Amino acid sequence: MDLFPLVNSLRVAIISTALTFLIGIWAAHGVTRLPIWLKGVLDSVLTLPLVLPPTVVGFFLLKTISPKAPLGAFFLQAFDIKLTMVWYSAVFATTIVSFPLMYRTARGSFEQLDPAWEACAQTMGLRKRFIFWRIKLPNCKAGLLAGTVLAFARALGEYGATTMVTGYIPGRTATIATTVYQLWREGNDGLALQWVMIDLVISLAVLVAINLLELRGGAARARSEA
Amino acid sequence: MRKALAFMLVVVLLSSIGTAGAEDASKIEIVVFAAASMTEALQRIAGQYQAVAPNVTLTFNFDSSGTLQTQIEEGAYADVFISASQKQMDALDASAGIDKNPDAQDFLLQGSRFDLLTNTVVLIVPEGSDKGITSFADAGTDKVDLIALGNSDVPVGQYAQEIFAFLGFWDQLNTAGKVTFASNVKEVLSQVAQAAVDCGVVYVSDAATGTGITVAANAPAGSHKPVNYPAAVLSNTMQPEAARAFLYYLKGEEATGVFTEIGFAIPQR
Repeated sequence: MDLFPLVNSLRVAIISTALTFLIGIWAAHGVTRLPIWLKGVLDSVLTLPLVLPPTVVGFFLLKTISPKAPLGAFFLQAFDIKLTMVWYSAVFATTIVSFPLMYRTARGSFEQLDPAWEACAQTMGLRKRFIFWRIKLPNCKAGLLAGTVLAFARALGEYGATTMVTGYIPGRTATIATTVYQLWREGNDGLALQWVMIDLVISLAVLVAINLLELRGGAARARSEA
Repeated sequence: MRKALAFMLVVVLLSSIGTAGAEDASKIEIVVFAAASMTEALQRIAGQYQAVAPNVTLTFNFDSSGTLQTQIEEGAYADVFISASQKQMDALDASAGIDKNPDAQDFLLQGSRFDLLTNTVVLIVPEGSDKGITSFADAGTDKVDLIALGNSDVPVGQYAQEIFAFLGFWDQLNTAGKVTFASNVKEVLSQVAQAAVDCGVVYVSDAATGTGITVAANAPAGSHKPVNYPAAVLSNTMQPEAARAFLYYLKGEEATGVFTEIGFAIPQR
């Protein structure tokens, strides 16, 4: 059995989760410090991909990175790099759709922090960078980890936007989701079922991991408050 | 404020119930499942049909013939089915024999099936393409890095596979990872128009109505089974007379004019 779809799905999900982790935390932290009116607008925009159907996200992506579209044409002419119909096109799609999950969870975590800690640290003369890395982040660990796992799960399960920007090239851009669809279309239910099972196992593993993390986080909090 | 909103909601709900029952009894709706390649032609013909039969509303579902076949098998309601190849129609036809209809399905109104159209398979490239692709054989060379084809469930994908097998490099195309498979012919068309692929295989009728693409070559003679579009009334239609009347109209002069203008041809019947 050709395991390329598994390898491809995992690498796309891992890369986009890493990107989402960085950008999501940066955006969440940035937004918490904005004036209220701007916060609301930006928050809605950044959460949008969660609400939009993935095909709508795929449509906007194509209008941007297609070879005849502005960004796509630029990369093609300047660097001879294709942005669509290659395996990393899926990374663009999955990063956009899983970003809101990381962003919202991270924002929730940051806003739950007692503002007195930050104020206290500032009275002690500690710099913003120190406060972020050594006070805020460590105390949001549980939330950030949960957000990361959610983003990873979403990235692994992404289909609509992915199929629009990467197509389906067996051995080059196929993911588990697109492979199952094509196998079903061709009437190859047996092989499709095998992939469905693989995907189920991975998805269950991810969810069990989230639950364990939450349990541990809850237990740690209970210990520290006791 | 809350009372006003609740009142408006009740009004909206009641009015929708009210209009549901007030349909004109003489209005008939014919649901047509047709191959995606017929989209533009049938939409034009629907406009003409309004004048001929004003009480008939045509509702179309355009998709790959394989998708439509699956939908019919899974219970979707349709009055008429027009496929882009015999394979999908055979699978639904009780009189097609056990090798073409292995599950012995019986979805067609016997006696209503006939061949409506034929089409030509062509190779298209993005408008302004500078890769020098001028024939199907070029797909086997370095000129083509990526080609968009329908998957084996899509008639035009089946024909493409036959053509490349005829030319001798179907297996190489696949192992080289040069093919991206699409779910219907319109997806192939849009991928070529976006220049996301170097070329694609569609019908001449799609090329005629598509934008952003140019036809590079016709399929070599004898490289694939004849492209026939069978049409039939489905057995669980609720208005067989109107369905037959529509199919009869499709065989007529006005409809034929539209079809041939777009690039279809009429088979011997």
